[in-house]
Amino acid sequence: MILELDDVTVSFTTGPPLRRRRLDAVRGISLAVAEGETLGVVGESGSGKTTTSRVALGLQRPTSGTVLFDGRPFPRRRRDLAGRIQAVLQHPHWSLNPRMRVGQSVAEPLAVLGRPAGSLVAEALEQVGLGAGFAERYPHELSGGQRQRVSIARALITRPSFVVLDEAVSALDVSVQAQILNLLKDLQAEFGFSALFISHDLGAVRYVADRIAVMRDGEIVETADAAAFYTAPEHPYSRQLLESL
Amino acid sequence: MKKLRLDPLSLAGLACLLLLVLPALGSLVDAAGDPDAIVGPRLQPPGPGWWLGTDNLGRSVLPRVMEGVGTTLLLSSAAVLVTAALSAGFGVLAGYRGGYLNELIMRVVEVLYSFPAIVLAVLVAAVAGPGQLAALASIVLVTIPLMTRLVRAAAVAVAGRDYVTAAVISGARLPRVLGRHVLPNVAGTIAVQGTYALSVGISVEGGLSFLGFGVQPPQASLGVLIRQGGTYMMAAPWLIIGPGAVLVLAILSINVFGDGLRDRFEPRETRSLV
Repeated sequence: MILELDDVTVSFTTGPPLRRRRLDAVRGISLAVAEGETLGVVGESGSGKTTTSRVALGLQRPTSGTVLFDGRPFPRRRRDLAGRIQAVLQHPHWSLNPRMRVGQSVAEPLAVLGRPAGSLVAEALEQVGLGAGFAERYPHELSGGQRQRVSIARALITRPSFVVLDEAVSALDVSVQAQILNLLKDLQAEFGFSALFISHDLGAVRYVADRIAVMRDGEIVETADAAAFYTAPEHPYSRQLLESL
Repeated sequence: MKKLRLDPLSLAGLACLLLLVLPALGSLVDAAGDPDAIVGPRLQPPGPGWWLGTDNLGRSVLPRVMEGVGTTLLLSSAAVLVTAALSAGFGVLAGYRGGYLNELIMRVVEVLYSFPAIVLAVLVAAVAGPGQLAALASIVLVTIPLMTRLVRAAAVAVAGRDYVTAAVISGARLPRVLGRHVLPNVAGTIAVQGTYALSVGISVEGGLSFLGFGVQPPQASLGVLIRQGGTYMMAAPWLIIGPGAVLVLAILSINVFGDGLRDRFEPRETRSLV
């Protein structure tokens, strides 16, 4: 297993002093992602998907429960994992630093590791279907789909073993979504990374996920193989979601 | 990056500002005469040989105003650079890190903010002794609270953006995250606030020197000239009109230029969403 969450709870306190309330963003969730596998996490807004992704990325420490990455807890220093975990995040508008050229953005994970970029940036841009010429452009010259492609190139340039895709296609047009999802599948077949694909869109998840976890109100109500899930969902909420598709 | 384009009004502001500064920096002061030389009778109205009149010692007012603008703007600019550097550091750190560091920096800033500018300036002059250094330190202390707060606010917004998160996930350490991602994206705010701080700086210098705590005569600054002119306001109003008009013009042109910069930098985020 590349990533294991066991009985993870994340709580936040909200509200004014004296009337503080404890809010569980996720409650007792357990999930696992195997090598080379894509786990889809679906659920509506506020169901705890984003908190789950932050826990999976090591950005959020769980209040209780254990998280294992590659069989070990997250190191105290984020840097020890540099290059092994990457993410493609939600907003194509804010996914790239507007002050950096595309090439610099794509090369950054390598720069963090102190590795020379060489021809890797051009290769990475080719792999996501953009062409090396994009390296000199600024993000505002790119469309939403192109920006997400750049984000994917940036995420994969260090050949991570695990990638979190948090609503990575949700903000895109449906036709562009399909292109990006195809690209992700091709790249996964080529590089063999594991992925956590988080989305509110069952249709998109169906397209890429090997297994599916359904979240509701901070809990996982059902985990199943994708094929089984789409033919015979067990939980009533899953059925409800599928019917609305 | 898009090209820096400004509307005609703020370009006019910039041109006006340059028109005020360039003579003071170049050799034009010499052409207008020695600011310390006695050129004619005392308290003469404007006329040939003394285009803005003469002061109570018979010195020509024109070169003194030119020298004064130079002193005032140089002092304010130096102070604003110090403010910008400190605000950028503190604001970005407070905005990005949050937590106790944020609380500490913001509470200190709020205490500073609560002092009226001139009280703060007089306090500094009392501690450091009157002079250019006191004026510079006062301008920094007066301008730093607002700038730090605004830089922090901008940094909070930038800190939540996906490219910052992506850099953190990649393993980037604090200096890289702040230096390459947060700071360049709050630079617009710093530039805009810098111009406003400059105009505040000019009026603080003016006020402080007017009270006699800032630049000391015989060196001319706008505040020094207005103070000296005030004494003879009835007999020789040109002594105060010249430097006063220049002070107003300088502040006005800086503010107009600052508005143009702000329009250029700040709505960008909302504009580019569509």
